Amino acid sequence: MLEVRDLMVFYENGLAINGVSLAVERGELVGVLGSNGAGKSTLMYTISGIILDRKLKEERRGGERITVFGEIVHRGEEITGLKASMRVRRGIVLCPERRRVFPESSVLENLKIGAYLRDRSEQREMLEYTWRLFPNLHRLRSRAAGFLSGGEQQMLAIGRALMAKPELLLLDEPLLGLAPAVQLKVIEAIRNIRELGITVLVADQYARPLLPIIDRGYVLESGSITLTGSGAELRENPDVRAAYFGV
Amino acid sequence: MLRSILIYGLINSIILALTAIGFSLTYGISRVANFAHGALYVLAGFAAWVLFYRLGLNYYLALFLAVVMVALIGAALYRFALIRVRGMPISEIIVTFALGTALLELLRFFGLFGSNYGLPPLRRATLQLSGVPVDFQRVAVVVIGVVLIAALWLFTHYTKVGLAFRAIAQDEQAAMMVGIDPDRMATLSLGLGSALAAIAAVVLLPLGYIAAESGTNILVYAIAVCILGGLESPAGVIVASLLIGYAQILSVAYFGPHYQMIVALLAILVTLVFRPSGLFGRQKELEERV
Repeated sequence: MLEVRDLMVFYENGLAINGVSLAVERGELVGVLGSNGAGKSTLMYTISGIILDRKLKEERRGGERITVFGEIVHRGEEITGLKASMRVRRGIVLCPERRRVFPESSVLENLKIGAYLRDRSEQREMLEYTWRLFPNLHRLRSRAAGFLSGGEQQMLAIGRALMAKPELLLLDEPLLGLAPAVQLKVIEAIRNIRELGITVLVADQYARPLLPIIDRGYVLESGSITLTGSGAELRENPDVRAAYFGV
Repeated sequence: MLRSILIYGLINSIILALTAIGFSLTYGISRVANFAHGALYVLAGFAAWVLFYRLGLNYYLALFLAVVMVALIGAALYRFALIRVRGMPISEIIVTFALGTALLELLRFFGLFGSNYGLPPLRRATLQLSGVPVDFQRVAVVVIGVVLIAALWLFTHYTKVGLAFRAIAQDEQAAMMVGIDPDRMATLSLGLGSALAAIAAVVLLPLGYIAAESGTNILVYAIAVCILGGLESPAGVIVASLLIGYAQILSVAYFGPHYQMIVALLAILVTLVFRPSGLFGRQKELEERV
Protein backbone atom coordinates (compact mmCIF):
# COMPACT_ATOMS: atom_id res chain seq x y z
CA MET A 1 0.00 0.00 0.00
CA LEU A 2 2.82 2.37 0.86
CA GLU A 3 6.38 1.93 -0.23
CA VAL A 4 9.30 4.19 0.56
CA ARG A 5 12.30 3.60 -1.66
CA ASP A 6 15.83 4.80 -0.94
CA LEU A 7 14.66 7.92 0.79
CA MET A 8 17.30 10.51 1.65
CA VAL A 9 16.55 13.83 3.31
CA PHE A 10 19.28 16.42 3.77
CA TYR A 11 19.06 19.37 6.08
CA GLU A 12 21.75 21.97 5.87
CA ASN A 13 23.64 20.61 8.84
CA GLY A 14 23.48 16.99 7.82
CA LEU A 15 21.66 13.95 6.66
CA ALA A 16 18.38 13.32 8.48
CA ILE A 17 17.25 10.27 6.52
CA ASN A 18 19.90 8.12 4.90
CA GLY A 19 18.64 5.59 2.39
CA VAL A 20 15.49 4.41 4.11
CA SER A 21 13.34 1.84 2.35
CA LEU A 22 10.24 0.47 3.96
CA ALA A 23 6.88 -0.95 3.04
CA VAL A 24 3.49 -1.02 4.70
CA GLU A 25 0.81 -3.46 3.54
CA ARG A 26 -2.92 -2.86 3.78
CA GLY A 27 -4.28 -3.56 7.25
CA GLU A 28 -0.89 -3.74 8.92
CA LEU A 29 0.21 -2.02 12.08
CA VAL A 30 3.85 -1.12 11.55
CA GLY A 31 6.18 0.56 14.01
CA VAL A 32 9.23 2.72 13.52
CA LEU A 33 11.37 2.69 16.61
CA GLY A 34 14.05 5.25 17.18
CA SER A 35 15.52 7.54 19.77
CA ASN A 36 15.40 11.34 19.69
CA GLY A 37 16.93 12.70 16.50
CA ALA A 38 16.91 9.35 14.72
CA GLY A 39 14.83 10.84 11.90
CA LYS A 40 11.37 9.54 12.81
CA SER A 41 9.62 12.85 12.45
CA THR A 42 11.45 13.75 9.26
CA LEU A 43 10.32 10.41 7.85
CA MET A 44 6.72 11.10 8.86
CA TYR A 45 6.79 14.64 7.47
CA THR A 46 8.21 13.32 4.22
CA ILE A 47 5.57 10.61 3.82
CA SER A 48 2.78 13.08 4.59
CA GLY A 49 4.18 15.77 2.29
CA ILE A 50 4.51 18.44 4.98
CA ILE A 51 8.24 18.58 4.30
CA LEU A 52 7.56 20.03 0.83
CA ASP A 53 5.83 23.00 2.41
CA ARG A 54 8.66 23.48 4.86
CA LYS A 55 11.20 23.22 2.06
CA LEU A 56 9.40 25.89 0.02
CA LYS A 57 9.09 28.22 2.98
CA GLU A 58 12.75 27.86 3.89
CA GLU A 59 13.72 28.56 0.28
CA ARG A 60 11.57 31.69 0.17
CA ARG A 61 12.99 32.92 3.45
CA GLY A 62 16.51 32.22 2.31
CA GLY A 63 16.75 29.82 5.24
CA GLU A 64 17.81 26.22 5.51
CA ARG A 65 18.18 24.19 2.33
CA ILE A 66 16.24 20.93 2.43
CA THR A 67 16.77 18.27 -0.21
CA VAL A 68 14.74 15.11 -0.69
CA PHE A 69 15.81 12.14 -2.82
CA GLY A 70 14.07 8.84 -3.33
CA GLU A 71 10.54 7.73 -4.01
CA ILE A 72 7.32 7.37 -2.09
CA VAL A 73 4.81 5.10 -3.78
CA HIS A 74 1.20 4.87 -2.67
CA ARG A 75 -1.20 2.37 -4.25
CA GLY A 76 1.21 1.96 -7.15
CA GLU A 77 1.52 5.67 -7.89
CA GLU A 78 4.46 7.87 -7.15
CA ILE A 79 3.48 10.66 -4.78
CA THR A 80 6.90 12.07 -3.85
CA GLY A 81 6.06 15.52 -5.23
CA LEU A 82 2.37 15.59 -4.33
CA LYS A 83 1.32 18.31 -1.92
CA ALA A 84 0.12 17.44 1.57
CA SER A 85 -3.58 18.19 1.04
CA MET A 86 -3.68 15.87 -2.00
CA ARG A 87 -2.14 13.09 0.08
CA VAL A 88 -4.88 13.53 2.67
CA ARG A 89 -7.36 13.19 -0.19
CA ARG A 90 -5.70 9.86 -1.00
CA GLY A 91 -6.14 8.77 2.61
CA ILE A 92 -2.68 9.41 4.04
CA VAL A 93 -3.21 11.36 7.25
CA LEU A 94 -0.58 12.43 9.76
CA CYS A 95 -1.15 12.87 13.47
CA PRO A 96 1.91 14.97 14.23
CA GLU A 97 4.37 14.92 17.08
CA ARG A 98 3.58 17.32 19.91
CA ARG A 99 -0.10 16.91 18.91
CA ARG A 100 -0.55 20.37 17.34
CA VAL A 101 -4.25 20.66 18.18
CA PHE A 102 -5.86 24.03 17.40
CA PRO A 103 -5.67 25.54 20.88
CA GLU A 104 -8.32 28.23 20.51
CA SER A 105 -10.91 26.03 18.85
CA SER A 106 -13.11 23.74 20.91
CA VAL A 107 -12.70 19.97 20.95
CA LEU A 108 -15.72 19.56 18.68
CA GLU A 109 -14.43 22.23 16.29
CA ASN A 110 -11.04 20.54 16.15
CA LEU A 111 -12.73 17.31 15.14
CA LYS A 112 -14.93 19.03 12.57
CA ILE A 113 -11.85 20.65 11.08
CA GLY A 114 -10.37 17.16 10.81
CA ALA A 115 -13.28 16.19 8.57
CA TYR A 116 -12.65 19.15 6.24
CA LEU A 117 -12.38 16.96 3.14
CA ARG A 118 -15.18 14.60 4.07
CA ASP A 119 -18.91 14.99 3.52
CA ARG A 120 -21.56 15.30 6.19
CA SER A 121 -22.40 11.62 6.55
CA GLU A 122 -18.75 10.61 6.72
CA GLN A 123 -18.23 13.31 9.34
CA ARG A 124 -21.09 11.99 11.44
CA GLU A 125 -19.87 8.42 11.14
CA MET A 126 -16.29 9.25 12.17
CA LEU A 127 -17.48 11.56 14.94
CA GLU A 128 -19.52 8.76 16.48
CA TYR A 129 -16.54 6.44 16.24
CA THR A 130 -14.23 9.03 17.84
CA TRP A 131 -16.65 9.60 20.74
CA ARG A 132 -16.79 5.85 21.29
CA LEU A 133 -13.00 5.56 21.12
CA PHE A 134 -12.38 8.51 23.48
CA PRO A 135 -15.43 8.97 25.68
CA ASN A 136 -13.85 11.79 27.70
CA LEU A 137 -13.49 13.93 24.61
CA HIS A 138 -17.26 13.90 24.33
CA ARG A 139 -17.51 15.24 27.85
CA LEU A 140 -14.99 17.99 27.01
CA ARG A 141 -16.42 18.75 23.57
CA SER A 142 -17.02 22.46 24.09
CA ARG A 143 -13.75 23.18 25.89
CA ALA A 144 -10.95 25.00 24.05
CA ALA A 145 -8.32 22.44 23.08
CA GLY A 146 -5.55 24.56 24.60
CA PHE A 147 -6.99 23.86 28.03
CA LEU A 148 -6.87 20.06 27.76
CA SER A 149 -4.25 17.94 29.48
CA GLY A 150 -1.46 16.40 27.45
CA GLY A 151 -3.18 13.02 27.29
CA GLU A 152 -6.50 14.56 26.27
CA GLN A 153 -4.76 16.63 23.60
CA GLN A 154 -3.11 13.49 22.25
CA MET A 155 -6.46 11.76 22.03
CA LEU A 156 -7.91 14.81 20.34
CA ALA A 157 -5.03 14.86 17.85
CA ILE A 158 -5.64 11.20 17.04
CA GLY A 159 -9.38 11.86 16.82
CA ARG A 160 -8.82 14.79 14.49
CA ALA A 161 -6.70 12.63 12.20
CA LEU A 162 -9.38 9.92 12.26
CA MET A 163 -12.01 12.47 11.23
CA ALA A 164 -10.13 12.80 7.94
CA LYS A 165 -11.07 9.16 7.35
CA PRO A 166 -7.56 7.85 6.79
CA GLU A 167 -6.69 4.71 4.91
CA LEU A 168 -3.15 5.00 6.21
CA LEU A 169 -2.75 6.74 9.56
CA LEU A 170 0.69 8.07 10.41
CA LEU A 171 1.18 8.49 14.14
CA ASP A 172 4.24 10.48 15.13
CA GLU A 173 5.30 10.04 18.76
CA PRO A 174 1.81 9.46 20.14
CA LEU A 175 3.22 8.39 23.50
CA LEU A 176 5.58 11.30 24.05
CA GLY A 177 5.21 13.08 27.36
CA LEU A 178 2.36 10.94 28.64
CA ALA A 179 2.09 9.13 31.95
CA PRO A 180 2.37 5.34 31.60
CA ALA A 181 -1.32 4.81 32.36
CA VAL A 182 -2.27 7.30 29.65
CA GLN A 183 0.18 5.68 27.26
CA LEU A 184 -1.70 2.43 27.71
CA LYS A 185 -4.96 4.16 26.81
CA VAL A 186 -3.40 5.47 23.61
CA ILE A 187 -1.99 2.01 22.83
CA GLU A 188 -5.47 0.58 23.34
CA ALA A 189 -6.87 3.18 20.96
CA ILE A 190 -4.27 2.35 18.31
CA ARG A 191 -5.23 -1.31 18.55
CA ASN A 192 -8.86 -0.33 18.17
CA ILE A 193 -8.18 1.83 15.12
CA ARG A 194 -6.35 -0.99 13.44
CA GLU A 195 -9.32 -3.26 14.03
CA LEU A 196 -11.44 -0.75 12.15
CA GLY A 197 -9.35 -1.67 9.09
CA ILE A 198 -7.14 1.41 9.07
CA THR A 199 -3.49 0.77 8.24
CA VAL A 200 -1.23 2.37 10.85
CA LEU A 201 2.40 3.43 10.75
CA VAL A 202 3.50 4.56 14.18
CA ALA A 203 6.84 6.11 15.09
CA ASP A 204 7.90 6.32 18.71
CA GLN A 205 10.73 5.83 21.12
CA TYR A 206 8.75 3.89 23.71
CA ALA A 207 9.42 0.29 22.71
CA ARG A 208 7.97 -1.31 25.81
CA PRO A 209 4.29 -0.47 25.24
CA LEU A 210 4.58 -0.37 21.46
CA LEU A 211 6.33 -3.61 20.49
CA PRO A 212 3.59 -5.95 21.80
CA ILE A 213 0.95 -4.48 19.48
CA ILE A 214 2.79 -4.03 16.17
CA ASP A 215 2.92 -6.60 13.38
CA ARG A 216 6.29 -5.51 12.15
CA GLY A 217 8.79 -2.90 13.10
CA TYR A 218 11.80 -1.01 11.84
CA VAL A 219 14.53 0.34 14.05
CA LEU A 220 15.78 3.71 12.87
CA GLU A 221 19.19 4.94 14.00
CA SER A 222 20.73 8.21 12.80
CA GLY A 223 18.62 8.16 9.67
CA SER A 224 19.14 4.54 8.65
CA ILE A 225 17.16 1.38 9.27
CA THR A 226 19.39 -0.92 11.23
CA LEU A 227 16.99 -3.67 12.08
CA THR A 228 13.64 -4.99 11.00
CA GLY A 229 11.42 -7.82 12.10
CA SER A 230 8.13 -8.75 13.71
CA GLY A 231 7.19 -7.20 17.02
CA ALA A 232 8.11 -10.37 18.86
CA GLU A 233 11.46 -10.69 17.07
CA LEU A 234 12.37 -7.13 17.94
CA ARG A 235 11.42 -7.68 21.55
CA GLU A 236 13.81 -10.63 21.76
CA ASN A 237 16.64 -8.86 19.95
CA PRO A 238 19.55 -8.17 22.34
CA ASP A 239 20.39 -4.79 20.75
CA VAL A 240 16.83 -3.59 21.06
CA ARG A 241 16.67 -4.83 24.62
CA ALA A 242 19.88 -3.01 25.45
CA ALA A 243 18.84 0.22 23.79
CA TYR A 244 15.15 0.41 24.68
CA PHE A 245 14.57 -1.80 27.71
CA GLY A 246 17.76 -1.05 29.56
CA VAL A 247 18.74 -4.70 30.05
CA MET B 1 -23.53 67.72 22.92
CA LEU B 2 -22.82 64.62 25.00
CA ARG B 3 -25.63 62.75 23.33
CA SER B 4 -24.44 63.58 19.85
CA ILE B 5 -20.89 62.61 20.78
CA LEU B 6 -22.16 59.26 22.02
CA ILE B 7 -24.26 58.64 18.91
CA TYR B 8 -21.79 59.93 16.34
CA GLY B 9 -18.94 58.21 18.15
CA LEU B 10 -20.74 54.91 17.78
CA ILE B 11 -21.45 55.57 14.11
CA ASN B 12 -17.85 56.52 13.51
CA SER B 13 -16.65 53.39 15.35
CA ILE B 14 -18.79 51.16 13.18
CA ILE B 15 -17.49 52.94 10.10
CA LEU B 16 -13.94 52.20 11.24
CA ALA B 17 -14.79 48.59 12.02
CA LEU B 18 -16.30 48.17 8.55
CA THR B 19 -13.19 49.71 7.05
CA ALA B 20 -10.81 47.48 8.96
CA ILE B 21 -12.56 44.13 9.20
CA GLY B 22 -11.57 42.94 5.72
CA PHE B 23 -7.93 43.86 6.23
CA SER B 24 -7.89 42.12 9.61
CA LEU B 25 -9.62 38.99 8.33
CA THR B 26 -7.26 38.54 5.41
CA TYR B 27 -4.24 39.06 7.61
CA GLY B 28 -5.57 36.76 10.30
CA ILE B 29 -6.07 33.87 7.93
CA SER B 30 -3.31 34.15 5.39
CA ARG B 31 -0.82 36.52 7.10
CA VAL B 32 -0.96 38.69 3.99
CA ALA B 33 -1.10 42.40 4.82
CA ASN B 34 -3.21 43.58 1.91
CA PHE B 35 -1.98 47.09 1.19
CA ALA B 36 -4.28 47.21 -1.83
CA HIS B 37 -7.20 47.29 0.64
CA GLY B 38 -7.86 51.00 0.15
CA ALA B 39 -7.58 50.77 -3.62
CA LEU B 40 -10.08 47.89 -3.71
CA TYR B 41 -12.40 50.01 -1.57
CA VAL B 42 -12.30 52.89 -4.04
CA LEU B 43 -12.57 50.52 -6.97
CA ALA B 44 -15.74 49.03 -5.51
CA GLY B 45 -17.26 52.49 -5.25
CA PHE B 46 -16.27 53.35 -8.79
CA ALA B 47 -17.59 50.02 -10.11
CA ALA B 48 -20.92 50.60 -8.38
CA TRP B 49 -21.04 54.11 -9.86
CA VAL B 50 -20.42 52.82 -13.40
CA LEU B 51 -22.94 50.00 -13.04
CA PHE B 52 -25.61 52.32 -11.65
CA TYR B 53 -25.16 55.56 -13.61
CA ARG B 54 -23.60 54.35 -16.85
CA LEU B 55 -25.22 50.94 -17.31
CA GLY B 56 -28.44 51.91 -15.62
CA LEU B 57 -28.73 48.82 -13.43
CA ASN B 58 -30.94 48.63 -10.37
CA TYR B 59 -29.09 50.31 -7.47
CA TYR B 60 -29.00 47.27 -5.20
CA LEU B 61 -27.95 45.03 -8.07
CA ALA B 62 -25.17 47.48 -8.95
CA LEU B 63 -23.88 47.44 -5.37
CA PHE B 64 -24.04 43.65 -5.24
CA LEU B 65 -22.20 43.23 -8.55
CA ALA B 66 -19.53 45.71 -7.46
CA VAL B 67 -18.91 43.66 -4.31
CA VAL B 68 -18.70 40.40 -6.26
CA MET B 69 -16.37 41.94 -8.82
CA VAL B 70 -13.97 43.29 -6.21
CA ALA B 71 -14.04 39.95 -4.36
CA LEU B 72 -12.95 38.20 -7.55
CA ILE B 73 -10.23 40.77 -8.14
CA GLY B 74 -8.96 40.23 -4.59
CA ALA B 75 -8.89 36.46 -5.09
CA ALA B 76 -7.10 36.92 -8.41
CA LEU B 77 -4.57 39.16 -6.67
CA TYR B 78 -3.52 36.17 -4.59
CA ARG B 79 -3.91 33.53 -7.27
CA PHE B 80 -1.80 35.28 -9.88
CA ALA B 81 0.53 37.63 -8.02
CA LEU B 82 0.92 36.94 -4.32
CA ILE B 83 1.23 33.18 -4.71
CA ARG B 84 4.68 33.69 -6.21
CA VAL B 85 6.03 35.61 -3.24
CA ARG B 86 4.20 33.71 -0.50
CA GLY B 87 6.08 33.56 2.76
CA MET B 88 8.13 36.67 2.03
CA PRO B 89 6.27 39.37 3.99
CA ILE B 90 8.20 42.34 2.58
CA SER B 91 7.58 41.18 -0.98
CA GLU B 92 3.91 40.61 -0.21
CA ILE B 93 3.61 44.17 1.02
CA ILE B 94 5.48 45.52 -1.99
CA VAL B 95 3.23 43.60 -4.39
CA THR B 96 -0.04 44.66 -2.79
CA PHE B 97 1.10 48.24 -2.20
CA ALA B 98 2.36 48.59 -5.79
CA LEU B 99 -0.80 47.16 -7.31
CA GLY B 100 -2.94 49.26 -5.00
CA THR B 101 -1.08 52.45 -5.86
CA ALA B 102 -1.18 51.67 -9.58
CA LEU B 103 -4.93 51.10 -9.37
CA LEU B 104 -5.56 54.31 -7.45
CA GLU B 105 -3.43 56.37 -9.83
CA LEU B 106 -5.21 54.82 -12.78
CA LEU B 107 -8.56 55.80 -11.28
CA ARG B 108 -7.24 59.29 -10.59
CA PHE B 109 -6.09 59.48 -14.20
CA PHE B 110 -9.69 58.83 -15.23
CA GLY B 111 -10.82 61.76 -13.14
CA LEU B 112 -11.72 60.06 -9.90
CA PHE B 113 -10.73 62.84 -7.53
CA GLY B 114 -12.38 65.70 -5.68
CA SER B 115 -16.14 65.64 -5.68
CA ASN B 116 -16.85 64.51 -9.24
CA TYR B 117 -18.34 61.13 -8.36
CA GLY B 118 -20.74 60.08 -5.68
CA LEU B 119 -23.22 57.35 -4.85
CA PRO B 120 -26.75 58.16 -3.71
CA PRO B 121 -27.75 57.17 -0.17
CA LEU B 122 -30.09 54.22 0.29
CA ARG B 123 -32.80 56.67 1.31
CA ARG B 124 -32.86 60.40 1.81
CA ALA B 125 -34.30 60.83 5.25
CA THR B 126 -33.31 62.10 8.67
CA LEU B 127 -34.19 60.36 11.88
CA GLN B 128 -34.24 61.77 15.39
CA LEU B 129 -32.35 59.56 17.85
CA SER B 130 -33.14 60.89 21.34
CA GLY B 131 -33.11 64.40 19.98
CA VAL B 132 -30.02 64.03 17.80
CA PRO B 133 -30.65 64.21 14.06
CA VAL B 134 -29.04 61.33 12.17
CA ASP B 135 -29.47 60.68 8.45
CA PHE B 136 -30.85 57.37 7.30
CA GLN B 137 -27.61 56.23 5.65
CA ARG B 138 -25.68 56.48 8.93
CA VAL B 139 -28.31 54.40 10.69
CA ALA B 140 -28.07 51.88 7.87
CA VAL B 141 -24.27 51.81 8.31
CA VAL B 142 -24.66 50.89 11.97
CA VAL B 143 -27.21 48.18 11.24
CA ILE B 144 -25.23 46.73 8.34
CA GLY B 145 -22.01 46.85 10.37
CA VAL B 146 -23.50 44.99 13.31
CA VAL B 147 -25.21 42.40 11.08
CA LEU B 148 -22.02 41.86 9.10
CA ILE B 149 -19.90 41.29 12.19
CA ALA B 150 -22.47 38.85 13.58
CA ALA B 151 -22.60 37.05 10.23
CA LEU B 152 -18.83 36.75 10.15
CA TRP B 153 -18.81 35.30 13.64
CA LEU B 154 -21.38 32.69 12.65
CA PHE B 155 -19.48 31.96 9.45
CA THR B 156 -16.18 31.32 11.22
CA HIS B 157 -17.79 29.16 13.90
CA TYR B 158 -20.34 27.07 12.07
CA THR B 159 -19.29 26.53 8.46
CA LYS B 160 -16.68 24.18 7.13
CA VAL B 161 -14.69 26.89 5.36
CA GLY B 162 -15.00 29.20 8.36
CA LEU B 163 -13.64 26.55 10.71
CA ALA B 164 -10.83 25.87 8.25
CA PHE B 165 -10.06 29.60 8.22
CA ARG B 166 -9.63 29.60 11.97
CA ALA B 167 -7.62 26.39 11.84
CA ILE B 168 -5.16 27.77 9.34
CA ALA B 169 -4.87 30.99 11.34
CA GLN B 170 -3.80 28.97 14.39
CA ASP B 171 -1.44 26.43 12.88
CA GLU B 172 -0.99 26.33 9.13
CA GLN B 173 0.87 23.03 8.96
CA ALA B 174 -1.51 21.25 11.31
CA ALA B 175 -4.33 22.42 9.04
CA MET B 176 -2.49 21.01 6.02
CA MET B 177 -2.33 17.66 7.81
CA VAL B 178 -6.10 17.28 7.61
CA GLY B 179 -6.19 18.27 3.96
CA ILE B 180 -6.70 22.03 4.07
CA ASP B 181 -4.87 23.64 1.18
CA PRO B 182 -3.25 26.89 2.36
CA ASP B 183 -3.19 28.45 -1.10
CA ARG B 184 -6.90 27.84 -1.57
CA MET B 185 -7.61 29.29 1.86
CA ALA B 186 -5.43 32.33 1.17
CA THR B 187 -7.23 32.90 -2.15
CA LEU B 188 -10.57 32.71 -0.37
CA SER B 189 -9.36 34.98 2.43
CA LEU B 190 -8.19 37.62 -0.03
CA GLY B 191 -11.51 37.31 -1.84
CA LEU B 192 -13.52 37.62 1.36
CA GLY B 193 -11.34 40.45 2.70
CA SER B 194 -11.79 42.34 -0.56
CA ALA B 195 -15.52 41.69 -0.53
CA LEU B 196 -15.64 43.22 2.96
CA ALA B 197 -13.70 46.26 1.72
CA ALA B 198 -16.22 46.54 -1.12
CA ILE B 199 -19.21 46.25 1.21
CA ALA B 200 -17.69 48.97 3.37
CA ALA B 201 -17.27 51.10 0.24
CA VAL B 202 -20.81 50.76 -1.04
CA VAL B 203 -22.37 51.58 2.33
CA LEU B 204 -19.90 54.31 3.34
CA LEU B 205 -19.27 56.15 0.07
CA PRO B 206 -22.80 57.62 -0.12
CA LEU B 207 -21.72 59.64 2.95
CA GLY B 208 -19.05 61.40 0.88
CA TYR B 209 -17.48 61.26 -2.56
CA ILE B 210 -15.73 58.50 -4.48
CA ALA B 211 -12.19 59.79 -4.81
CA ALA B 212 -8.81 58.14 -5.28
CA GLU B 213 -7.34 59.91 -2.27
CA SER B 214 -9.78 58.23 0.10
CA GLY B 215 -8.08 54.93 -0.76
CA THR B 216 -5.00 55.98 1.20
CA ASN B 217 -7.06 57.26 4.13
CA ILE B 218 -9.02 54.04 4.31
CA LEU B 219 -5.81 52.01 4.32
CA VAL B 220 -4.34 54.11 7.14
CA TYR B 221 -7.54 53.83 9.19
CA ALA B 222 -7.68 50.07 8.66
CA ILE B 223 -4.05 49.67 9.68
CA ALA B 224 -4.51 51.91 12.72
CA VAL B 225 -7.46 49.83 13.93
CA CYS B 226 -5.66 46.54 13.27
CA ILE B 227 -2.45 47.62 14.98
CA LEU B 228 -4.23 48.95 18.05
CA GLY B 229 -6.50 45.91 18.28
CA GLY B 230 -3.86 43.31 17.52
CA LEU B 231 -3.33 42.37 13.89
CA GLU B 232 -5.31 39.17 13.61
CA SER B 233 -7.87 39.57 16.36
CA PRO B 234 -11.56 40.06 15.46
CA ALA B 235 -12.34 41.22 19.01
CA GLY B 236 -9.42 43.63 18.73
CA VAL B 237 -10.97 45.19 15.63
CA ILE B 238 -14.16 45.95 17.52
CA VAL B 239 -12.49 47.35 20.63
CA ALA B 240 -9.93 49.38 18.66
CA SER B 241 -12.68 50.75 16.40
CA LEU B 242 -14.58 51.97 19.44
CA LEU B 243 -11.46 53.55 20.99
CA ILE B 244 -10.29 55.29 17.83
CA GLY B 245 -13.86 56.02 16.75
CA TYR B 246 -14.74 57.90 19.91
CA ALA B 247 -11.30 59.55 20.12
CA GLN B 248 -11.80 60.89 16.59
CA ILE B 249 -15.25 62.27 17.34
CA LEU B 250 -13.96 63.92 20.51
CA SER B 251 -11.07 65.45 18.57
CA VAL B 252 -13.53 66.69 15.96
CA ALA B 253 -15.79 68.15 18.62
CA TYR B 254 -13.05 69.97 20.50
CA PHE B 255 -10.27 70.66 17.97
CA GLY B 256 -11.64 70.40 14.44
CA PRO B 257 -12.30 67.92 11.66
CA HIS B 258 -8.73 67.64 10.35
CA TYR B 259 -7.62 65.94 13.59
CA GLN B 260 -9.24 62.62 12.60
CA MET B 261 -6.20 61.39 10.71
CA ILE B 262 -3.85 62.59 13.43
CA VAL B 263 -5.76 60.54 16.00
CA ALA B 264 -5.41 57.43 13.81
CA LEU B 265 -1.70 57.97 13.27
CA LEU B 266 -1.18 58.67 16.97
CA ALA B 267 -2.94 55.40 17.79
CA ILE B 268 -0.45 53.55 15.58
CA LEU B 269 2.49 55.34 17.11
CA VAL B 270 1.45 54.89 20.73
CA THR B 271 0.59 51.20 20.22
CA LEU B 272 3.88 50.43 18.54
CA VAL B 273 5.81 52.12 21.33
CA PHE B 274 3.98 50.67 24.32
CA ARG B 275 2.36 47.45 23.19
CA PRO B 276 3.60 46.42 19.75
CA SER B 277 1.39 43.33 19.45
CA GLY B 278 -1.73 45.41 20.08
CA LEU B 279 -4.42 45.12 22.73
CA PHE B 280 -5.50 41.62 21.73
CA GLY B 281 -2.36 40.47 19.96
CA ARG B 282 -1.99 36.79 20.72
CA GLN B 283 0.90 35.72 18.61
CA LYS B 284 3.40 35.66 21.46
CA GLU B 285 1.04 33.79 23.70
CA LEU B 286 0.44 31.14 21.03
CA GLU B 287 4.14 30.59 20.48
CA GLU B 288 4.68 30.00 24.16
CA ARG B 289 2.04 27.31 24.31
CA VAL B 290 3.68 25.11 21.67
